[in-house]
Amino acid sequence: MPHELALLHNCLLVGAVLFGIGLVGFVTRRNMIVMFLSAEIMLQGVSLSLVAWSRFRNDFGGQMLVLFIIAVAACEAAIALALVLMLFQRRGKLDIAEWRGLREANQPGFREEPPPEAPPEVIEPLPHLTPAGVAPQIPREETDYRPRM
Amino acid sequence: MPDLKTLLILIPALPLAAAILTAALGKRVLRGGSHWPAIAALLLSFLASIALLFEVQKRIEGPAETRGPATVTLWSWYNIPDAMQKPSDAGTTPAGLGDFRIDVALQADPLTAVMLAVVTCISSLVAIYSIGYMHGDAGYWRFFAYVSLFVFSMTLLVSANNFILLYVGWELVGLCSYLLIGFWFEKPAAAAAGMKAFLVNRVGDVGFALGIFLIWTTFGTLDFDRVFAAAGTLAGDWRATAICLLLLVGACGKSAQFPLHVWLPDAMEGPTPVSALIHAATMVTAGVYMVARCSPLFAQSADAQYAVAAIGGITALLGGIIAITQTDLKRILAYSTISHLGYMFVALGVGTLAGVTAGMFHLMTHAFFKALLFLAAGSVMHAAGGVIDIRRLGGLRRRLPVTYWTFLVGCLSIAGVFPLAGFWSKDAILAAVADKAGHGGEGGLYGFLLLSTFLGVVLIDFYMFRPFFLVFHGPERLPPEAGRHAHESPGTMTAPLVVLAFGAAVVGAYFEWKHGFANFLAATPSLGSLPHPPVEVGGHVASPPEHWGIAVVSSAITILGITAAAVVYLGNEKRAARLAAFMNIFGMYSLSYGKFFFDPIYSLLIVQPLLGVARLAAWFDRHVIDALVDFCGRLPSMLGAVLRPVQGGVLQFYALAMALGLLALLGFLLM
Repeated sequence: MPHELALLHNCLLVGAVLFGIGLVGFVTRRNMIVMFLSAEIMLQGVSLSLVAWSRFRNDFGGQMLVLFIIAVAACEAAIALALVLMLFQRRGKLDIAEWRGLREANQPGFREEPPPEAPPEVIEPLPHLTPAGVAPQIPREETDYRPRM
Repeated sequence: MPDLKTLLILIPALPLAAAILTAALGKRVLRGGSHWPAIAALLLSFLASIALLFEVQKRIEGPAETRGPATVTLWSWYNIPDAMQKPSDAGTTPAGLGDFRIDVALQADPLTAVMLAVVTCISSLVAIYSIGYMHGDAGYWRFFAYVSLFVFSMTLLVSANNFILLYVGWELVGLCSYLLIGFWFEKPAAAAAGMKAFLVNRVGDVGFALGIFLIWTTFGTLDFDRVFAAAGTLAGDWRATAICLLLLVGACGKSAQFPLHVWLPDAMEGPTPVSALIHAATMVTAGVYMVARCSPLFAQSADAQYAVAAIGGITALLGGIIAITQTDLKRILAYSTISHLGYMFVALGVGTLAGVTAGMFHLMTHAFFKALLFLAAGSVMHAAGGVIDIRRLGGLRRRLPVTYWTFLVGCLSIAGVFPLAGFWSKDAILAAVADKAGHGGEGGLYGFLLLSTFLGVVLIDFYMFRPFFLVFHGPERLPPEAGRHAHESPGTMTAPLVVLAFGAAVVGAYFEWKHGFANFLAATPSLGSLPHPPVEVGGHVASPPEHWGIAVVSSAITILGITAAAVVYLGNEKRAARLAAFMNIFGMYSLSYGKFFFDPIYSLLIVQPLLGVARLAAWFDRHVIDALVDFCGRLPSMLGAVLRPVQGGVLQFYALAMALGLLALLGFLLM
């Protein structure tokens, strides 16, 4: 039925989008936890595809597999996060760029490019009236805890 | 007494065994005793060759069936039947013609027997001399191994029964000459001289090899007896001349004749026993032996005989003229050897039986007196601490009495004073040439050769007695290098000198008495076909009528020459200087002292261009071929450098690569 077909197409599309987001995130981000998160997103995209096909084919096998996947993904998440924790404890940073030893001798690994310098903020000074009158006498305690009068 | 075939095998085999034994055991085991295998083998070979002489004599005088050469075949090296296309009208071709069949086979006939006796006699005497001369040298064992190898090669050369085995022996003696000239190889002059000798010999060997090829294509066989039996079919053909000229090129290379003589003076860098053995008595006579052996071929072409005689004559004069101004005693003797080899070639070039036997006779006497002169020069060198420049020595006859007397005998013999050996052999050559000039109808060239030989007599007197008077007479002068060496040589060195002096005195008269030598040699089957005067009563085949006139004239010239040399060199030095200035009128002195500038001319015309080509080839090899090979070697690392960035250590790149690979696979599957 066209209704089922359209449902299938849409579900698959969402699943593909999820997968794509996960892939790009994995490849692009430097934070180890975020990379893992992206991997999980990829996994969920695939699970959605499985469910969509299962619904379309009236076959519970796909949904069964998804249940398994969710369970296994949870275990795997535990292990992965434990590993990330170990890696963090070695270097003190969650940056994947810390771990680039497994390479050929003369390759640079990550190329650190410094972020483009932000143009210096130009702060236009607000117009300022010269205060008239005598400068008030402010006791010392008040200037201590109130930085601006 | 063992039979002839056993003797024939023993004579080369014993020195070969000695060479192998000395090479294997010399360095560690024998050391100072390395001479024993060589001496034993050479003396035994000498005794065997004397026995062989008697056996061959018995064969000649025996019944007619045994007159041919005695052959012993060791094994068959190559046998390719029908290697050559027989001509289509092959009805009467003898069986076996056209088969490429080379047997390692030795033969014994009078020519071989004479050569073997000379070679083994001189070798054993030189080996005994070397015990004293090479004493204490670091390469003592190497010397005796090489000398034994040389004697093996030379005996193989003269006993061979086909051209290929002759060529094998030829090359081997060239190799031994190279090894022995460059014996003190750390000395650059000696190493260069060895190389020069080998390369110049090689030039001759090319001609020899081409001659052998031509013999094969003409005759279809390479055995001596078959070739010489068929030689008569070639009379006047261009092939005979071509073959003979090519063989002559080979002989010129080995026997240091006119264009290829440049290696022999430089070969004096080797130890003096080597010069005595190889470059006076044996190796350089291989060329003479070869031409004598091939006389049936040479008899077919008068032009080739002219060439032989002409080259011999030029060389004889060349050697004589250069020798009279040299100052190094060994070089004087070297140029004298070149000159005497020239005389032998003149005798061979006459072409008659008398000429060939005269040439071989001179070979034998020359071996004795030249080896004697070289060994005596070595004795002088030994006493003078290695100095052989005659300008620095003087008055040594009181210190070196044995050397003095033996050297005197050698000088008288080489000058041809009656009754020493040189007189008989030189007379034989002069007689043969005079006969040819008078009766052969070829008056011009041979008459000229006769005159030049007489001139040569004067030259011989001068160049031999000049160093004799300068070194042994006059005020005593010793160079500082002599140190404490300046005494007579030990017994091992003087005994061979005495034996050789005895030989140089007596050999000529003994063998020429009743023309015994000439008749013995004339019984060689291949020489039987040469023109000779009719057989007289009593079977004296080879003797020309006695040339008393020539004998008297040459003796007179000899006496005059010796007295002239005595007047100039026994007197004060001004006479010698005036003589030199007189000779320089046509620039002859500088030309002679500069050895006719052969070496610079060859260097300019041949050696430098070849060196240029060699440098070009070396550049090409290093920068083109090696660059290509290096490029092939660098190709994998270049490929690796291209692929290496894949392993960058950036984790996300790996993930991306996986994803892209998956995409590619999907695309491939779906397309």
